[in-house]
Amino acid sequence: MLDPIILGQIGWTSLATTSYYVLFAVAFSLVLKVNRLFNFTQAAAMSIAFYAAYATVNLAGLPLIVGLAVSLVAVLLFSWLIETYGFAILREKKASVLFIFIFTFMVSEFVAYLLMLTFGTWPNTIFKTLLWPVSLVGNVAVSHWDVPAIASAASCCLLLALFLRFTRWGQFMIAVSDNPDLAELYGIDKRRVFLLAVMIAGALCAVGMILYGSRSQVQPKTSLELMLFATVATIVGGIGNIWGAAIAAIALGFVQNASVLFIPSQLQGLLLYAFLFVAIIFFPAGLKLPERKRTFESKTRQITPAPGVATPADKPAE
Amino acid sequence: MDFFYVIVIMVGIYVILATSFNFVIGYGGLISVAHPAFFALGAYASGILARDLGWPVLLTMPIGALFAFASSLLISLPSLRVSGDYLMIASIGFQLGLVEVIKHVSFTGGPGGLTAIPQFLVRDYGTVSYVIFTLVIAVAVVLVTRRIVNSDYGRAISALRDDELAFATLGKNAMWLKIWVIALASGLAGLAGAIYAHYFRFVAPEQFEVLQSAAMLTMVVVGGMRTIWGPVIGAILLQTLPQAITFINLPPSILGPLQGLLFTGVVLLFMFFRPAGLIPAPAIWQGGTSAPIDRKGKLDVRGA
Amino acid sequence: MSAVLEIKGLNKAFGGIRVADEINLSLHAGRVLGLIGPNGAGKTSLFNLVCGVVKPDSGEVFLDGAPLAGLKTFERARLGLARTWQNIRLFPSLSVLDNVLIGANDYPGTKLTNVLFRPGMVRAAAYRNLEKAHGILARCGLSDTHDKLVSDLPYGRQKLVGVARALMSDAKCLLLDEPMAGVEGHSYAAIQAVVREVAASGIAVGVVEHNVAFVRDLCDEGVFMFSGKILARGAVADLISDRQLTELYFGT
Repeated sequence: MLDPIILGQIGWTSLATTSYYVLFAVAFSLVLKVNRLFNFTQAAAMSIAFYAAYATVNLAGLPLIVGLAVSLVAVLLFSWLIETYGFAILREKKASVLFIFIFTFMVSEFVAYLLMLTFGTWPNTIFKTLLWPVSLVGNVAVSHWDVPAIASAASCCLLLALFLRFTRWGQFMIAVSDNPDLAELYGIDKRRVFLLAVMIAGALCAVGMILYGSRSQVQPKTSLELMLFATVATIVGGIGNIWGAAIAAIALGFVQNASVLFIPSQLQGLLLYAFLFVAIIFFPAGLKLPERKRTFESKTRQITPAPGVATPADKPAE
Repeated sequence: MDFFYVIVIMVGIYVILATSFNFVIGYGGLISVAHPAFFALGAYASGILARDLGWPVLLTMPIGALFAFASSLLISLPSLRVSGDYLMIASIGFQLGLVEVIKHVSFTGGPGGLTAIPQFLVRDYGTVSYVIFTLVIAVAVVLVTRRIVNSDYGRAISALRDDELAFATLGKNAMWLKIWVIALASGLAGLAGAIYAHYFRFVAPEQFEVLQSAAMLTMVVVGGMRTIWGPVIGAILLQTLPQAITFINLPPSILGPLQGLLFTGVVLLFMFFRPAGLIPAPAIWQGGTSAPIDRKGKLDVRGA
Repeated sequence: MSAVLEIKGLNKAFGGIRVADEINLSLHAGRVLGLIGPNGAGKTSLFNLVCGVVKPDSGEVFLDGAPLAGLKTFERARLGLARTWQNIRLFPSLSVLDNVLIGANDYPGTKLTNVLFRPGMVRAAAYRNLEKAHGILARCGLSDTHDKLVSDLPYGRQKLVGVARALMSDAKCLLLDEPMAGVEGHSYAAIQAVVREVAASGIAVGVVEHNVAFVRDLCDEGVFMFSGKILARGAVADLISDRQLTELYFGT
């Protein structure tokens, strides 16, 4: 059973399927880090991105590049709407975490229903077929979907990394995520940074959904499960650690693919929930916005907050 | 007439669901979307015990409720150990995962649903008896909830919601209080599920999907979070008004999403334009009336 | 005389910042100990460590000789440890009276089974607590505002409610975190009187305070803290007249 060819095949397929997982996880983790909110509207953004591409490519028969453009426009528009007329207003009103959660959840469901009405509840794909030609490399089957998928996910991550590292706005983002009030004192416009984070996350979702939707079927509620996967990766990777989430997404993807060797296929769907509970039980430190972690991270590059400001005396930093 | 009975029974069931959900999110301030899962657990547990083991429904209904009550520990124990954010994520996972499990095991009837669940009361005493039964339980649930939130317990829950750390430094065990709040509400949702199962005699996984919690949230938010009568009004309004569109002959594939759109759209509108709901909660905790004192602060010696 | 609260070799660092550096300290029954020092000296952090809000890296805390290690915040409070907060942390959706009532140590109403199945017991406790709470409110001069929302009270009175809430628990040791910051006039005098009374009744009191006059008038003894260390212990008057410490305090 543990034939090297099978292992090689599983390894390769895992790597390929983790391409979209990574994008979703990075998107979720980015908004959590910068905006400090669990952005469950990401499921809506993902569905919108998919159906925009689906309508353009599958229904209208236009080339994929047009599909990608339409998808990006749709998702960026949605992200802008959500941030400007949703999150920004809720922040201004100092809405509670509960209130913000209800908002994100309801938006996701509202969009899911809207898409059900428009496109029906049955599964769809971006291209008319899910079958991709396969070439053999060594003895491992490499689908023609695999390489472009891995390449686009990797280049998205690289672009994001470069953006955060070298551009002004990227550094503003890190500064805001470390201490929004302090960043504001330095003249950084918080609202624009928050908007930017949500829009970047939306764009990553668009690429991810095009990858996913050209290989698997999508229904209006598929994105919720995909987002849950991103959430698990974010927990395992550690809050505020974007690349940790990406690595966690790859690791979870590998486990999920390798599990075909150990557990019956009808139970595969339950694996995600097993991951979730393992994450909650064994990674409790991941899921608090820990002040301590932030001071470690802020050692390098960005505007470092003054030591006195960083530890509010009354806040427990367990 | 039967159509009318169905609506009244559904109103009763949703009064229980919305009231208990409000207990968790409104009074407890705890973020969970797994209420439909506990609704399902009660329905399936009671339905299976009555159908496959032949136990009397009067016994399986409370067992279904207890089963949901106990199952809530699966999400509350691991997640509340850490922080409130975990509960939110654990509840999403539990909700999606449970529906997945129900679809994949055979004794639940899988995706096709559980059929031929034994009826209760209806055959012997007619539908009206079941309508009365449902309404009596719904009223009891509302009254018991009112008693709890106005008692010393309610004061403690309010304090916990306001400031957990300050609450803990006053010698109160915040974690177990939260676990109990979730367990009680989940038990009530399970009871509602059992009532549902033994009337409609058929339950299927898609009736308990996460989208269901949108309906419950709508009732709570529109009616008025953290009030006793808000969720009741919400349940009545949102169970009866959408019936209007069922009269337009639309295929179910459109009707379902349309109703969902209505529910979620209404909540979003309320959130921005009337966040307190139809019945706004008072700014100050109103309980304590059962304590031997009137609110003027004079001690009522009769209570001693 | 044995100590009510005994802190032995307590250490804690957040990242690179040491908030507690080998702290040894004891609080005695009926005495008021003042903790003074500049901002960031680790005074509030010491309270957090003692209450179990923050876990120490090493060291021990004893209350009445019993070790507190491994106990959660609420368990420590039940053993007789009460505190107030710099930013008060009252319950905004409760009235003044209900804020104080929550402080009661004997509060069977936190158990649902009691509320549903033993209403008599809950009622009896509620009655006792009510009487006690009204007594405490009267002592603090808050009786007239007992049914007000705490946010409707002026700042000083809110601080007073915080003290009243802490008193409700029959603590053996009371830790007050800047009870006087932002307080003047009537409330100032009231807090001062209440703290004196509390100490006189045999409770060990620890106070973090920047108001030098208050500390000097009230505290039997003081310690000077600086960057997580206790630099000196002695009469408050001596500490504040010490030139070296004054320089540290004002950062000159």
